[in-house]
Amino acid sequence: MSNIIGLINYGIAGNIHSIKKAIEKAGGTIKIVNNESELNSVDKIVIPGVGSFKDAISELEKDKLLEPLKKAIQTKPTLGICLGMQILSTLGFEYGKTKGLDAIKAEVKPILVDAKVPHMGFNTIDVVKTNPLLNELENEEFYFMHSYEVVNYTEISSLTDYAGHKFVSSVQKDNIYGVQFHPEKSREAGIKLFKNFIEL
Amino acid sequence: MKIRIIAKLDVKPPYVVKPVHFEGLRKIGIPQELAKKYYEQGADEVMYIDIVSSLYQRGIIFEEIEKTANELFIPFGVGGAVRSIEDFSKLFHKGADKVLINTYAVQENPNIINQAAEIFGNQAVVVNIEAKKWDKYYECYTDCGRIQSDKNVIEWAKEVEQRGAGEIFLQCIDTDGRQRGFDLELAKQVVDSVNIPVIIGSGAGKLEDIKELIEYAKPSGVAIASMLHYDLTNIKEIKKYLSDNGIEVSK
Repeated sequence: MSNIIGLINYGIAGNIHSIKKAIEKAGGTIKIVNNESELNSVDKIVIPGVGSFKDAISELEKDKLLEPLKKAIQTKPTLGICLGMQILSTLGFEYGKTKGLDAIKAEVKPILVDAKVPHMGFNTIDVVKTNPLLNELENEEFYFMHSYEVVNYTEISSLTDYAGHKFVSSVQKDNIYGVQFHPEKSREAGIKLFKNFIEL
Repeated sequence: MKIRIIAKLDVKPPYVVKPVHFEGLRKIGIPQELAKKYYEQGADEVMYIDIVSSLYQRGIIFEEIEKTANELFIPFGVGGAVRSIEDFSKLFHKGADKVLINTYAVQENPNIINQAAEIFGNQAVVVNIEAKKWDKYYECYTDCGRIQSDKNVIEWAKEVEQRGAGEIFLQCIDTDGRQRGFDLELAKQVVDSVNIPVIIGSGAGKLEDIKELIEYAKPSGVAIASMLHYDLTNIKEIKKYLSDNGIEVSK
């Protein structure tokens, strides 16, 4: 069975280089997706993201990928990473209010914590509802680098504690997965997560 | 929060060098090889600073950066001669996760911090501060510790936070490369004056220095160069020492 992972390349803000490298290290085959027809040719989807919620959505619109992506993630196994997870949500509040892909009923808001923000560094995930992506990764450490969090109550896979504040560090709904941390920056644990994604 | 232990590479392409007081460069090795070595020792991040680029007024040399990034599965911060949004963009595409900026923002256009934060997210924008101590205050320097700015370090730290920087990387010209401990007061003052993470460099000479810094100033990360370059210790040993002393570190 063909198992090509499409890495969505949108705008100047994509950090696709390191994600591609990590998925290849995990044994996956990557295809960079720049348009709708390339999107249609892949089996799985990874949505990366560096930048702001607002910019990410407007770049997807500009590349005519927003609507096709909304449709494709309904059926293809999909992994959103960091901002890529955040834009799976209904609504974002970074630089104004922006509608997201609406795959996860959630809102993306600034982290509310009495500590330094961005939350940056390795932190542990506490798996509250296991799924195949997190297989054998319970209580592992991953690298976080974010100022916003996904506020959701129904699709939580793991929580992470930052200075006493528990936020959603990963979500899953059917074939759609999102991780707030950066597996491509999380040493062997991150490579293992990509292996799990390849095996989905 | 677990303290981050960061390996810092001062680069004069194609070599990693180690200055003392930002002067007198000694050749240490190849960036790519050292980055890989520190990654395997358990570094939480690697920082790569081309320390002569601003001074020589030349552009960024991307080749070494890309090669170095290829060996890493941890965050990679890159700085030196960053002058435009296009530079940020190119560095991210070459494998940087964070971009450090100092000289251009201090001397010419602090607005670049705002612009970069809006486009790339504030977590990706790190302001590098090179501080020098005077009688009553600390002053920001640029061009690898060569040029004075008249900017007060604490005020500048607050300003860059307002402008959207996601992190401050604080170095100290007086203590850098000497391996005689950090300027603890400087570190504490900067950490306490902002709400963004602060990484402290310049001064680690023995394990106790690192512990003392963390306990006194409570930074988010510590950058180590000389101690690693001269094999006085390794990151595994640093983490074990800190953990034995009750300081939380990553695995």
